[in-house]
Amino acid sequence: MASTEKDSPPKKTVIIKLLLVVGLAVLLSCEGYFGYRLHNLSKQQEELKWDYTNVNNITFGLFSVEQWRDKISAIINHQVRDFKLTPYQIKQLQTEVEQVIYALLNKAESLLEKKPKSLSGKIKKFAVKTFVDTDTIKAQVPAFAKAMIAKINNPANKIKISNLAMGKFNELEKTNVYIDSTLTANDSTTTLLYHKYQVTSREELDRKLLKSLDRISTQTYAYSFAMLACIIIVLMLWWFFRKRVDLHAILFVMSLLFAFILLAVGLTASMIEVDARIKSLDFVFLGEHVLFENQVLFFQSKSILDVVEVLIKQPEVDAILVGVLILVFSILFPVTKLTCTGIHLLGKKSVAESRFVKYFAFQSGKWSMADVIVIAILMVYIGLNGLLENQLANLNIKSEFLTMITTNNTALQPGYIIFISFVLYGLVLSTILKYITPHDAH
Amino acid sequence: MSTDQKTSKFKRFSSANILLILGLTVLLAGEGYFGYRLHRLSSEQEQIKEDYSLSNNITFGIFSLDQWREKIMAVVNGQVTDFKISPAQKKDLQAQVETALHGLITKTIQEVNKPQKSIGGKLKKFAFKKFVNPDELQALVPGFSKTIIDKVSSPASLKRLKNIATSKLDQLETETYDSTNVARTKVIKTLYKKYHINNANAYDKEIKMRLTNIRTVTYQYAYGMLGCVALAFGLWFFMRKQVHLQAILFIMSLLFAVVLLSVGLTASIIEVEASLQTLNFAIMGEKVEFVNQVLFFQSKSLWNIITELIQQSKPDAIVVGMLMLVFVVIFPLLRMIARGIHLVSPKKIAENKVVKYLAFQSGHWDMADVMVVGIVMTYIGLNGILKSQLSNLNFDNAYLHTNTVNETSLQPGYIIFVGYVIVAYTLSYILKRISPHTHGPNLETLPKEKG
Repeated sequence: MASTEKDSPPKKTVIIKLLLVVGLAVLLSCEGYFGYRLHNLSKQQEELKWDYTNVNNITFGLFSVEQWRDKISAIINHQVRDFKLTPYQIKQLQTEVEQVIYALLNKAESLLEKKPKSLSGKIKKFAVKTFVDTDTIKAQVPAFAKAMIAKINNPANKIKISNLAMGKFNELEKTNVYIDSTLTANDSTTTLLYHKYQVTSREELDRKLLKSLDRISTQTYAYSFAMLACIIIVLMLWWFFRKRVDLHAILFVMSLLFAFILLAVGLTASMIEVDARIKSLDFVFLGEHVLFENQVLFFQSKSILDVVEVLIKQPEVDAILVGVLILVFSILFPVTKLTCTGIHLLGKKSVAESRFVKYFAFQSGKWSMADVIVIAILMVYIGLNGLLENQLANLNIKSEFLTMITTNNTALQPGYIIFISFVLYGLVLSTILKYITPHDAH
Repeated sequence: MSTDQKTSKFKRFSSANILLILGLTVLLAGEGYFGYRLHRLSSEQEQIKEDYSLSNNITFGIFSLDQWREKIMAVVNGQVTDFKISPAQKKDLQAQVETALHGLITKTIQEVNKPQKSIGGKLKKFAFKKFVNPDELQALVPGFSKTIIDKVSSPASLKRLKNIATSKLDQLETETYDSTNVARTKVIKTLYKKYHINNANAYDKEIKMRLTNIRTVTYQYAYGMLGCVALAFGLWFFMRKQVHLQAILFIMSLLFAVVLLSVGLTASIIEVEASLQTLNFAIMGEKVEFVNQVLFFQSKSLWNIITELIQQSKPDAIVVGMLMLVFVVIFPLLRMIARGIHLVSPKKIAENKVVKYLAFQSGHWDMADVMVVGIVMTYIGLNGILKSQLSNLNFDNAYLHTNTVNETSLQPGYIIFVGYVIVAYTLSYILKRISPHTHGPNLETLPKEKG
């Protein structure tokens, strides 16, 4: 402003400049507000997803002894109550019993055939020989064996036996309650979550979480489009004032501030949502239908900075290197670039035309696209993993009853749009700078 | 050959031209052929691997209850059929039967010894006391119990008992199933038909053989393509003094670059394959093993990536796809066309603002080089994350042994794409030196006007 007063320009220009600055400042604060809201919503979303993952996590479903115990007790019930011997099995058992009885009879006979020494022994032998006809007894064996098996197999007895077994099992079940550590963990987390969201059942909690996630996602999109609208207004102002060379410097500096806000939001808002789950595990086990649904393996949103964090925490050196590279392309380059465009426009000629400043002001912008590309490729490789489903669909096989890991719901998030807009906006600003710079741009 | 009629000097030049063009055309055709083969092989490889990952998918392996049932049942059935009663077990059993019989006898004697009221009862008691000596009876027990045990453990009896057990197991087996078997049978049938094969071993062998063949040959074609390009640029270096040939050379080089770009775009760039090589554990003393379980497979070319993004239903994915299309495909192509136009067309068109902007100034919109860096970053990042995730699945203890394999690799398509970027850089450098027109933005007066 000082320079404009020195040159004592017409009052009108000063007013226009003031208006422009004030207008842009208002717009800037709007953008800042939207960005702030977006940032907060994104955080909230992350928390909700964390909770949702906790509730639907595989360790509380498929990997939980409690869940299995419920299902298995049904199976045991079924097995014990409906325990049946097929006619074939009955026949086999009967033969077995018969054989044993025959063997015993033979043994007894052979004992009797021995010559007794004592008088009483002789009398005994005589008595048995007279009164007992072994052939008649042997003839009765099959009927006897049959009666025995029938006794075991009769419904009343079976109920008695199964009651005994079930009683034992139920007793076990009761004493086992606190052995399962996932159960206790599940209990405490779910009660906490129920309390937090003021719900009473898991279905209700799921519904509530999904509903809030839905609401947040529409809101974040609304805010991100509002931010983009601010940027478009700024670009329209450029078009509008393209002939007013005197306003260019102010406009440019203000535009840079817009870019900084975009960058900050783009870096911290979630940009990709990774969702890996086992949709259903569906089978019949010993005659009982066992079904596990929606087993969440992984459900998180990540911002660029989170991605960097994940990569840097990897044990491999090259992964860390890539993390650092993303950091450089997403923070270091953009910040340097924006600063350098400012310096190039406002600084002394010697500084403005230094190779470093010129490179960053005009050539570095596109390298931030590397991050965009990385996320896009990752998205295609991980997120659109419908390969198996597609292949099965081509073969006319229904896949909903098959157990598979799906990552289909992986999606891009508003932070990504904001970051892309920042990169493009930066490139446009470089192009604009090329036309308005007082210095040599090349 | 109308040029033949012209002056001899021209004739020499034109014959040199023709020779050069012929030579370059042959090279170009060679490059094109290699590129075409590479493209075909790359998609064939993708297809085979997709089929392989389908048939070996974890859904049809570890995630399939039917598979588990078969393996476990084999073990249990084996246990039942190999069941034998050892002498020690026999002795134990006999002792148990003996105790039971002793108990039975004692109980019977007690029953008889109870005071009897009826005459008949009294008579019976008397007779019993007279004829039966309890000690004698007890002494008979070991003999009888041996008879029972011998009978039960005789081969015929064991066979019968085993029959009962296995038939019960079969009954349980039929009550346990999921829907993978039907799907798996269908998949395998289709694939066997496709590869003209009828068993699993042959299938594995065929797939392995085809893949090994393709792998060596694709790299040969890739190097063949790059060799052609290198030769063309060798010529360029050779002819750097022959100014009149440079225009032709440049146009031909642009064609080389276009071929590189199109092959680089359509051949697959990164292949991700995570699999569980072996998972084995012991159950009832027998080993249960799952091999070659594909957890995840993806192989894509840049063109696939772009089209898949554009085909998404979500607008943000479409936008990203479009951006990649514009920056990685359309801008590079436009720039090459503009360079060609700039060099050969009359001054008026060559100096056209759009042509000049595209040929010289649009570098920061052409993101093929960024793509090269981006692909490498994705590859390393993906590789690192997969490696650490898979290493979490590696167990090696007394009960469970697993071995995971991460076969994520850059594919020949990437090499070709890098080749394109290098060629594009070189061409833009060359164009700046040989352009007959003004091109330096230094001469542009625009900034000065504004300043």
